[in-house]
Amino acid sequence: MQGLLRTFKKKGVILTALVAFIVMSGLTVVLSLAQQEKEAGIPAQAKPSKPTPEDLEAGKLTYFKKCVWCHGSEGAGDGPGADRLWPRPRNFNQGTFKIRDTGSGELPTDQDLFLTVTHGLPGSAMPPWSHVLTEKQRTQVIQFVKTELVKDRDFQDPDETFTVINYGKQVSSSKESIEKGLEVFMKKGKCVECHGNEGRGDGNATQNDEWGFPILPADLRKCYNFRGNRSDPYNPANVFREVSTGLNGTPMPSFADTLTEDERWHVANFVISLCPKKDIDPLTNKPKISFVLKSTFVSGELPATLDDPKWQEVEPLYVGLGSQITHKPRNFVRLVDEVWVRSFYNTDDIVFMFEWNDRNKSHITEEAKKIDPNTMSEVPPSGRAVADKGVRNWPVFDDAVAIQFPAKWKELVAPEKPRFIFGDAKRSVDLWKWEASSGAKEYTGKGWDSLGFRDDKHLKVVQAEFKDGQWRVVLKRALKTDDPENEVQFDPGYYIPTAFFAWDGHNGDAGRKMSMTTWYYTILEPPVPMKVYYLPPVMALVVVGIQFWVYSRFDARRRKK
Amino acid sequence: MQSLFQDFWIHGAMPIQLLLVLVFTFFLYVGGNYLLKKKFGKGVPQFGQAVLIWVGAYFILGYVIVPPIPATLLYTFMGLITIVLFLLLSSTEASWQEFKRPIVDTVTGATPVYRSVRTATFVTLPLIFGFGTYDFVKPKFEEPIELRIVHPAPPQSITVHNRNFTLQTAQNPFRVDDEGNYLEVGHESKYFDNNPFAPDAPKFMQYVREGGAIFFQNCHFCHGDNLEGRGMFAFAFNPIPANFSDPGTLAQVQETFVFWRVSKGGPGLPREGFPWASAMPPWEQHLTTDEMWKVIMFEYWHTGFYPRSWD
Repeated sequence: MQGLLRTFKKKGVILTALVAFIVMSGLTVVLSLAQQEKEAGIPAQAKPSKPTPEDLEAGKLTYFKKCVWCHGSEGAGDGPGADRLWPRPRNFNQGTFKIRDTGSGELPTDQDLFLTVTHGLPGSAMPPWSHVLTEKQRTQVIQFVKTELVKDRDFQDPDETFTVINYGKQVSSSKESIEKGLEVFMKKGKCVECHGNEGRGDGNATQNDEWGFPILPADLRKCYNFRGNRSDPYNPANVFREVSTGLNGTPMPSFADTLTEDERWHVANFVISLCPKKDIDPLTNKPKISFVLKSTFVSGELPATLDDPKWQEVEPLYVGLGSQITHKPRNFVRLVDEVWVRSFYNTDDIVFMFEWNDRNKSHITEEAKKIDPNTMSEVPPSGRAVADKGVRNWPVFDDAVAIQFPAKWKELVAPEKPRFIFGDAKRSVDLWKWEASSGAKEYTGKGWDSLGFRDDKHLKVVQAEFKDGQWRVVLKRALKTDDPENEVQFDPGYYIPTAFFAWDGHNGDAGRKMSMTTWYYTILEPPVPMKVYYLPPVMALVVVGIQFWVYSRFDARRRKK
Repeated sequence: MQSLFQDFWIHGAMPIQLLLVLVFTFFLYVGGNYLLKKKFGKGVPQFGQAVLIWVGAYFILGYVIVPPIPATLLYTFMGLITIVLFLLLSSTEASWQEFKRPIVDTVTGATPVYRSVRTATFVTLPLIFGFGTYDFVKPKFEEPIELRIVHPAPPQSITVHNRNFTLQTAQNPFRVDDEGNYLEVGHESKYFDNNPFAPDAPKFMQYVREGGAIFFQNCHFCHGDNLEGRGMFAFAFNPIPANFSDPGTLAQVQETFVFWRVSKGGPGLPREGFPWASAMPPWEQHLTTDEMWKVIMFEYWHTGFYPRSWD
């Protein structure tokens, strides 16, 4: 026993054991890292692989459980859910795919399809399948789609070419690059003709895709809605790719021959610069939502115009909107999916600014005035599916935006609120609506089917303007009015429930056919209390005092010694 | 706190991995000290050791262990470790003096190096306290926390399209085996891997297919293509749509509960379920009861869960 201990005590052994331990752990770390890299993606291969019969069987099983409902049993993009979707699910039969690394008109590589299934296509109904299907399952389902559902073309046909684009040398974003990109956007590339002067996709909203369905140019201000952003919305490489390859089946052409590589990078940097930099929520692939709208106190006059520089002092709140599909008539395809809101208040009034993108300026037509929007059918007048030329096939109503508060929020017993869709019988709401043709209107809501107009004229439109695919509207109202029964009364420092609604007149939005949110909160920020200004320096001074005291005590002791 | 080593931990082997981490740290500490003693004649001074141990413990507890431990537990452990460290350090007079020495030297400024450390500390400490106070007293406006009951108690019975359903006893009329008899809960597993679009699909699968069509025409906008509550509009709503692929939803309730929720929707919720904020449509306004039962079948088939049953 003693001998053994002595051996172990020998320094050499301990050292060796320690070194061996470190090396082994290091190796494990390195190996697992390597394994991870490999799992992160199949190495790119332009030549499509040949599937095995097992792959096809497994892929078919996955397809008929997860994919068939949108893409259809023959892959023709006509599954049971397809008619209520816009953009429609992909029709695989022609082998036409948008997001690829290959040239215009060519089939995609396996890697392209894999990444599409993995990351989904934001801005459409195609979700990311990365956490649902394993890598193998995704590969197998793609093999099934390529082999059985792409019918008009053959991936193994020797005549099919797969020219993978050359990304070249990425030009990093800079002020110069963005300016050059703007040049290209406006002149050489002529992107402005479809994508609009400010990139909001309002240049040409009348186009169709290869199958005759309506298609709208991308709103370049919403990079998180780009189909090909592959979970990396702020990466210019995605834009470079789309500009270089073009999107098959759409009016977006390939610019590989008309623009140099540098020019395409400049344009990519320019496009990404248009998108507001927000924290993206990885679960929704949209900006993270804060449910509190802060209204800032102003001691003097409130901003009186849209371009008042005061508006730039606050960050606008990103408000995400969904469709109203709760009560008839339901709106399966909503085009207004976000509104940016700002607010100020002073001792008398409160103002709200709403900004949202809309490709068409819509004013209600004479024909539409005769229609009660709440009796409209859920499918367009043509009688065909919503997405069958449907996005445009409605009578034109007013563009509109609305903000809603509980009329008597102070009397609510937390957490109770009125029903967010226009209130309920017990708790009514005060709804402020702005319509493109009639300006500001106030309503009392006592239920989803019970919205009553109030001719109060307390709500004022400060300014409203449509420019280059964007509406900007400022509404103003007094903090307190003489009708507390029906009208919301504002008090600083309280969380006042707030909901938002929006309508795109060219999309058949009117009445209950709209975009909506559930409850947010508005808080009128009380002025900063004095203690925030004097307490921190006081605390700092106290700490300095303590430090001196400690030093003097130590010093005294040392001197005594 | 997210572990920095999230991807390295093998689930289910936590005690072994924890042991390996502790053994590795111990050897590193002892071995390091030993090597220093060999090279410089003395190891890390007491003060340095105390700081190293404290920081090391915080790092391992807060950032290495998977799954991460709750913050309150972390603070409890660190409090214990602090007390134990002080006990160890003050166990002998010599050890305590050695521990105090760097502090005393800093405050009195024994050498130029210590004097610059003292200046740096005396300047940063008030700044830290000042900014800390500012952060503490500055008004923050965050969404008020409201706790919602996710599975409120259902009513005894409901009336949908003029038919009465007693929730304790009602059965899904489409839950049938190949002979058309009621299929007991648990026996549907044989259908889980079937193709609903196969031309020779059994009756159960035909109903699943019809339910799937209804789901993808009405429900997937919110509940998502994989039934995870991540549909196209989900991001705009609060509370978010239910995640059926999570074992905490469908699998916890009976089919009749789901039928109640589907038919009566948000407005049908009791107060503790927050009916005012739920975007869930009352589907009796849009679907027949048959369609609702079929959708429920589809949801259970797709997620692979069994509904709760009395047996």
